[in-house]
Amino acid sequence: MITIVDYGMGNLGSIQNMFKRIGLASLVTGEPAKVAEARKILLPGVGAFDNAMQRIEASGLRGILDRKALVERVPVLGICLGMQLLTRSSEEGVLPGLGWIAAATRRLPAREGLKVPHMGWNAVDQVRSDALTRDLPGEPRFYFVHSYCVSVDDPADSLLRTTYGITFDAAIRRGNIFGAQFHPEKSHRFGMQLLANFGRL
Amino acid sequence: MKTEFAAAEAATPMETRTPGGGAIVTCVRCIYDDRVPGIRFDGEGVCNYCRQVEDLTAQYGTGLPKGKAEWDRIVAEIKRAGRGKKYDCVVGVSGGTDSSYMVYLAKEFGLRPLAVHYDDTWNSAIASENIRKVLADTGVDLFTYVINNKESDDIFRAFFLAGVPEMGTPTDLALAEVLYRAAARNGVKYVLEGHSFLAEGVSPIGKNYFDGKYIESIHKRFGRLPMKSYPLMTFLRFMRWIMLGRIKKIRPYWYLQYSKEEAQEFLKAKCGWKYYGGHHLENRLVSFSIGLYLPRKFGLDYRNLTLSARARAGLVDRGEAMAEYARPPKVEDELLPYFKKRLGLSDEDYERVMRAEPKFWWEFPTYKKRFERLRPIFAVLAKANLVPMSFYLKYCFPVKV
Amino acid sequence: MLRTRIIPTLLLRNESLIKTVRFGKFSYVGDPANTVRIFNELEVDELLFLDVTATVEGRKPNLKVLAEIADECFMPLGYGGGIRSFEDAQIILKLGFEKVVVNTRALEEPSFITRLSEHFGSQAIIVSIDVKRGLFWGDQVRSRAGGKNARRSPVEWAREVERLGAGEILLTSIDREGTWEGFDLDLVRSVSEAVRIPVIANGGAGKVEHIGQAVKEGCASAVALGSMVVFQRKGMGVLVNFPEESELRRILA
Repeated sequence: MITIVDYGMGNLGSIQNMFKRIGLASLVTGEPAKVAEARKILLPGVGAFDNAMQRIEASGLRGILDRKALVERVPVLGICLGMQLLTRSSEEGVLPGLGWIAAATRRLPAREGLKVPHMGWNAVDQVRSDALTRDLPGEPRFYFVHSYCVSVDDPADSLLRTTYGITFDAAIRRGNIFGAQFHPEKSHRFGMQLLANFGRL
Repeated sequence: MKTEFAAAEAATPMETRTPGGGAIVTCVRCIYDDRVPGIRFDGEGVCNYCRQVEDLTAQYGTGLPKGKAEWDRIVAEIKRAGRGKKYDCVVGVSGGTDSSYMVYLAKEFGLRPLAVHYDDTWNSAIASENIRKVLADTGVDLFTYVINNKESDDIFRAFFLAGVPEMGTPTDLALAEVLYRAAARNGVKYVLEGHSFLAEGVSPIGKNYFDGKYIESIHKRFGRLPMKSYPLMTFLRFMRWIMLGRIKKIRPYWYLQYSKEEAQEFLKAKCGWKYYGGHHLENRLVSFSIGLYLPRKFGLDYRNLTLSARARAGLVDRGEAMAEYARPPKVEDELLPYFKKRLGLSDEDYERVMRAEPKFWWEFPTYKKRFERLRPIFAVLAKANLVPMSFYLKYCFPVKV
Repeated sequence: MLRTRIIPTLLLRNESLIKTVRFGKFSYVGDPANTVRIFNELEVDELLFLDVTATVEGRKPNLKVLAEIADECFMPLGYGGGIRSFEDAQIILKLGFEKVVVNTRALEEPSFITRLSEHFGSQAIIVSIDVKRGLFWGDQVRSRAGGKNARRSPVEWAREVERLGAGEILLTSIDREGTWEGFDLDLVRSVSEAVRIPVIANGGAGKVEHIGQAVKEGCASAVALGSMVVFQRKGMGVLVNFPEESELRRILA
């Protein structure tokens, strides 16, 4: 059972839909009591960094999430803004992030001919093999929509990288903490493989 | 009570035991058994359907010089009749094996076909892709008739609620009507159809039937939307096409050597055509009908049609065919929820209908009696290829049910 | 490398997919959810659904159909047609659509664009600009399914919508639509060069080469395909399809 955390931001229906199609049970909830029972957590997110952090604090989920992630060490996957929230801070806002992984989020530099946000399908390079990113079909690509990107402090935490002007992390991992900058729920068979891998950890 | 299944080798070839202990009689050549309506076994244990296929083969010279000569004659006639026109024949396509191969066949013999597709809006991606690949490779034009999807669902729903087995019928008859319309619109006199009695057998009329009046009756009683975009083949339209339009139906596989397996290998290699995994499974409504509806509600499993044909032709060992038939059909997981959602059926509605008494065609108004009364006329029309001989055999004789 | 997005753009009318033919008539193309399934299998990048006559006929978006579509779709989805209020947009985005497309309402009340993009993020807001070339006054933006002349130039309106917060522009040449003869490259380039947000070229695609032209000569960020993905060929029957990966790669290399 994968618990999809509802703090008011994110494409929850689509994520749940994809889990259903893969045959994995999932539960969407914003109730602290239910999140406290989670054995696996998915942290979605679409929108602004500070807005998200505020909502997480206000909902009473912060303490529970910290405990699940850092003490109980259940597998946690942050998607899109959710991955950025895992870092210590973002140039998009002033509030600190969850800080569960040693990384920072910064603005995607605008370059000549490259429009921001980074929006569309982009290819990813596998930095190292991992349970989350195994068995991806050949020439994997995913759907990205974001204006800020993550770079991990320790290269060993990087699973997938992608290039849009600069090269940055598309998927990361430290222990039980995972992140994906793209939208697996919108990346058809590539996303399905990734979510299936997460579900079967 | 101990259940016993006699091993195929140990018992006499004709009998196997059922769990209840009674014997089922099975044909020695194919795998039809005495549950098939209208079946009879002769002295050698061969069923009348095998004999019918034998007779048709002799009559049409299938795969023999006689058949080839007749086919050549027909091809010449088609070309002559089509001179000066853009197309000389129409070919119904579905993305399936028979129709896909037939497009290549038509081109090989120098014909100029127009491909025609009736889209009931339940096609699988494989069907669309197959049609696209075959037609792109052969350079053949496509005419499609698409029904309003809500109307399509309404008609299927009507059949489901009526509790009759013929859910695939509306599509089959619509294609037949659309083929005639496309032919008429383009001044074409010949419709090529992919039916093969060797590959599929002649399906016994028994509990399965279709004609325009039957569809109209079911829809009138159980449908909710007016029938506007559905191309209904009424008796009058049927007569108009064949009597006034003089449009003939030709079935190349009755004359020429045809093997489904070889055709599939050819198609795969030639244009990347993909096999859809079973009898007519390129359409999701048909998948539902054959995989779930018919087996559960009627105990009907039409896989015996193809399996029997293959056993008759010696392409598959009879024992293997029976073993495969004994296993439940493969059905895609998402299919049942999709079916219910599209037809607006709750789980309760669905169960209620599935558990209800099956109904059959003779309980509704149809043209059957009319076809029987007009038998002498249809005999003549069949000889002239204006109606297929199999139509005459199935529709114009009374059926004991 | 970021792939150029090639986006099948399908027309909805109530609960059916259609294609408009001349003089307001239309023909059926298929069932929306079933067609989405087919595009899923064909692994297209993104899908756009437009109900072009919703505003003119005073209809609201058909939420039941949109929910069915969203359930079947595992790639990004956009919807436009009859979005007249903030609530309209909100409901559709909640159903699982990534983007909403606005046209007439934005012309009537430009601040509508800002209100939507401030709340949902600009990446969720596509402004559709329909353009028709007049005999004397050049290209003009039109609203209400092409029925009304908004008396603005495409470039000028495009710059303004960008300023107001639109994330993307769907630029449609009414003259080229359904002709299979290629995009209006001058139009596409003039707008693409005038703004920094992505421009989706729409109207006129007939073959893969046109896609290449729109990107290389027209400088479009993305390309919408209409007739090309629902018909076998020009003048031929309905057949849902999508250009082969290898062909697209060759054209866009």
